[in-house]
Amino acid sequence: MSRIKYINNLLETGEVSCVELTKKYLDSIEKENKILNAYVKITQETALKTAKKVDEKISKGEKLLPLEGIPMSLKDNMSTKDIETTCCSNILKGYVPIYNATVWDIIKNQNAVLLGKTNMDEFAMGSSCETSCFGGALNPHDIKHVAGGSSGGAASSVAGNLAVYGLGSDTGGSIRQPASFCGLVGFKPTYGAVSRYGLIAYASSLDQIGPIASCVEDAAIIYDAISDYDSKDSTSRGSRTKTANSLNKCIKGIKIGIAKEYFEGIRDDIKSSIQEAVKVYEDLGAEIVHVDLPQIKYALPVYYIIACAEASSNLGRYDGIRYGYRTSFYSDVDDMICKTRSEGFGKEVQRRIMLGTYVLSAGYYDAYYKKAQKLRGSIVKAFKNVFDSCDVMLAPTVPTTAFELNFTSKDPIETYMTDICTVPVNIAGLPAVSIPCGFDDKGLPIGMQLIGNSFEDAVILNAAYQYEHQVKNKIYKQTDIGVRI
Amino acid sequence: MITHEDILKIAKLAKLSVKETEIEQLTKDMSEIIKFADTINTAVEDKDEEFDDINNIVNAYHEDEVIKSFDKEEILKNSESVGNGCFVVKKHVNRR
Repeated sequence: MSRIKYINNLLETGEVSCVELTKKYLDSIEKENKILNAYVKITQETALKTAKKVDEKISKGEKLLPLEGIPMSLKDNMSTKDIETTCCSNILKGYVPIYNATVWDIIKNQNAVLLGKTNMDEFAMGSSCETSCFGGALNPHDIKHVAGGSSGGAASSVAGNLAVYGLGSDTGGSIRQPASFCGLVGFKPTYGAVSRYGLIAYASSLDQIGPIASCVEDAAIIYDAISDYDSKDSTSRGSRTKTANSLNKCIKGIKIGIAKEYFEGIRDDIKSSIQEAVKVYEDLGAEIVHVDLPQIKYALPVYYIIACAEASSNLGRYDGIRYGYRTSFYSDVDDMICKTRSEGFGKEVQRRIMLGTYVLSAGYYDAYYKKAQKLRGSIVKAFKNVFDSCDVMLAPTVPTTAFELNFTSKDPIETYMTDICTVPVNIAGLPAVSIPCGFDDKGLPIGMQLIGNSFEDAVILNAAYQYEHQVKNKIYKQTDIGVRI
Repeated sequence: MITHEDILKIAKLAKLSVKETEIEQLTKDMSEIIKFADTINTAVEDKDEEFDDINNIVNAYHEDEVIKSFDKEEILKNSESVGNGCFVVKKHVNRR
């Protein structure tokens, strides 16, 4: 059952007050965050102030909005007015935004209880959360493993029962991969469905905000709340349909596409779990169709070229003059900017800025950036063709389960390769939801993703919900820490 | 193949100050990353597929009207050094 609906009911019936509930979460965070490192900032005062407001509303017998009074977390790349927002980078330590990200404005107006800002890879560049200047977030299923990245803190906060849900951002899998590692539902909406205003940019044509939640229905409720047209984001489109109301649709006859290219290099136990899921879908009356998507073999280099090119431009704004860290010793303005950036950015961020600068520089632009943009067009077209023959696609989320700690110390290419299944969706701007589908022999969660055509967010959430409904006892395992609802 | 000089050139363009001790490792990492990026050049070019925008948005214009913006004081409060309502940096332009 939806945890959000359950808590909403507890609050409305007076079984627990919002202040009591919020204090429970804050107490658990105080205790568990020392280990998990899910949060980089606790917003106790904001949380309790909002909780009090919610209790006043309940005492007047007023009905609560869907996300009202629900304790939640925000990834630290979403701007929160008067609350420090660092992107987990030394260059932004101490930065206090003077405006709110639109998503935060929307749920704040619903009296969402913000418990804190969550850990992430620095500027969302990473797959393990370990490039964070605060150190990585740990996996509540086994703290010898990472929570994933870049939205590792968001996933850790939800899997560790230190928040009911978290908002993350997904540029190349940063919502879906940590959700998969932590046994949660992670939903990356269609590009343009959720406003990016106030989301600190990594790669603007790929970035998208979405929920990390403990079940599909919660993800749908959150998506419905945050997906709206926003004139402050020039690529905003809003959503076409509400999703939570369309979760009970029969999927008999639905065509599920499987592309063999998605299964190359995937660990055998993950392949088996997905084959089991395919059987569940067949039992539900879905038709499995095999589709070809050879273009995705170029998705990873295309992604890294485009993402880094955009990052090199987006991160050009960190000059130490207007906000953030400024170096102490320098000879002139140029020296100040160079030293500020080298001292403020971590190694991975600098590497990506350099790659982006290289592919945009004279003599290399055509061979890399322009070529990558052309291949992006081919990938978009290839997905369009695939969706002529199926309604949704089913694929692994990650080739492995959660990595052991100190993952990022390895070779950069090896790290990048783990994004192989998640990046194609961002390149094509499509919606995709990662949902648990089993466990490996160490008990670590395995995830699979359902990919939909543009703005068919409701279709994939419904397909995910139908599967979840059949096998929920086999795919979810609550960790024994935090607030047990 | 990325050279020592390439690294210095890219760092200058990217406004990063690379330490002498870091150049060797960076050259190695960047060479590997570029080799990986180069795999796109094995793809047969599809001349029809120019990519513009994912949702076919051409230009999202808004009315050209003056709207309320942020207070100057608020904008300045995140800077390390301000004075007379401006950001302060070392003198950048010298009189000839």
